[in-house]
Amino acid sequence: MSFDPKAFIAEQVDAIRIAAPGKAIIACSGGVDSTTAAVLASRALGERLLAVYVDTGLMRKGETDDVARTLKELRVNHRILHAADEFFAALRGVTDPEKKRTIIGNKFIELFEREAQAFDADYLVQGTIAPDWIESGGQLRDRIKTHHNVAGLPENMKLKLVEPLRDVYKDEVRAVARALDVRVAERQPFPGPGLAVRVVGDVTPEKVDLVRAASAIVEQEIETAAQEGRFPRPWQYFAVLLPVQTVGVHGDVRVYGHTVAVRAVDSVDGMSATYSKVPHEVLDRISTRITNEVHGINRVVFDVSNKPPATIEWE
Amino acid sequence: MRVYVVDNGGQWTHREWRVLKYLGVDTKIVPNDSPVSELKGVDALVLSGGAPRVGIDPEKMGKNGEYIDSFDGPILGICAGHQFMATHLGGAAAPAKVPEFGKSFVQIHQPDILFQGLPDRFEVWESHNDEVTVLPKGFVALASSPNCDVQAMRHRDRPLFGLQFHPEVEHTQFGSDIFRNFLTVCEEST
Repeated sequence: MSFDPKAFIAEQVDAIRIAAPGKAIIACSGGVDSTTAAVLASRALGERLLAVYVDTGLMRKGETDDVARTLKELRVNHRILHAADEFFAALRGVTDPEKKRTIIGNKFIELFEREAQAFDADYLVQGTIAPDWIESGGQLRDRIKTHHNVAGLPENMKLKLVEPLRDVYKDEVRAVARALDVRVAERQPFPGPGLAVRVVGDVTPEKVDLVRAASAIVEQEIETAAQEGRFPRPWQYFAVLLPVQTVGVHGDVRVYGHTVAVRAVDSVDGMSATYSKVPHEVLDRISTRITNEVHGINRVVFDVSNKPPATIEWE
Repeated sequence: MRVYVVDNGGQWTHREWRVLKYLGVDTKIVPNDSPVSELKGVDALVLSGGAPRVGIDPEKMGKNGEYIDSFDGPILGICAGHQFMATHLGGAAAPAKVPEFGKSFVQIHQPDILFQGLPDRFEVWESHNDEVTVLPKGFVALASSPNCDVQAMRHRDRPLFGLQFHPEVEHTQFGSDIFRNFLTVCEEST
């Protein structure tokens, strides 16, 4: 026996109908989990569901337009909120990764509660998957990191939670997404707190711009090389901006610039991972392009840690 | 076949449940303070790993001891579950000289039904600070890794097994075969 996506879809659509007898909103980031949850909830609730996407200012290049298009294609009733200023203001000066995650989680809920009130919804559907609550800890389980959609929720939250994907992992969600014809089924995972956890240290719009530009290059080069069959596309691949400045030489002039780490891992479920054996010529192109095209970055390093002992994300 | 997973707070407890589910077993995760009376009709138990350091914090292991003493069917202890099984039955566990995190290799020294059909050496995934330092009476060590002598043990007569590595993790080779072999033991003992 293995996982049966069709049976899972039927089960969960019924379960959502029972769990949410009234109106509901769904927090949708455009990733595989929340988009899949949105389609399941939309099947169960139809017009009683409103999908809310928040542009936090911490999203990847072109992401907001892409998510709007996906939701339109899937005919899910939705709303796009622009809240970059609010997020950057809340994160100003914060360096502790757990604080960042909690602040972002609280901010999301604040916005969702506002939207829920306007839509007259009592329920919040989320695309929470197993690793989110496992890693968030509780009782005996140690907290590895605060997933904003679990441990980032305020205690006095009024909305009632509905989480159809709680017991499944990413590979299983992808199987469900394929069965539902969701275009983003194969998209790489992206953390809810977005680029805020890919800027080690305090988060500013300038630093987020740097890591966004570097990440776009990592994604393009790795996807191109994978399409050309040079190596299997990793499970996840991105750039992290480090709080380290180093010396470089640009056109015979000393520079003192930022460092980014390139992270690429192979995994099935996100609960264990090996670093991807990205060919050197691909790393070379990534390094040359980032240091030439992203002004302010003069050094690129490659992360060769597995999970465990490291985690996939740096924060 | 009904096999429950006793949750000792591990990161991979839910993975154990998933592997058992994929093998077609009726399975459920239960808290480690569930009364033994609630385990009626259960054929076997998996004692999960966990954040608890069993040597330092045995109270966090709930009723694991009662399960080991009075549960009739086969029991597979993993990581903290394995270490607890050793200490509870008179052996010992202590902080490892070299804790292992991530990739390692085990060498099988003693053929056993648990490793039937597997090569003598294969890649496993580890995540532990403590290890079994003294085997309990009646147990034999089955496998070791370069940094840990007791990677696997079993009781000579009772169907009690302990594994220091994590067979439930996707990256461990032959993990699901090890669970399947454990289920064979369960079938034979019902």
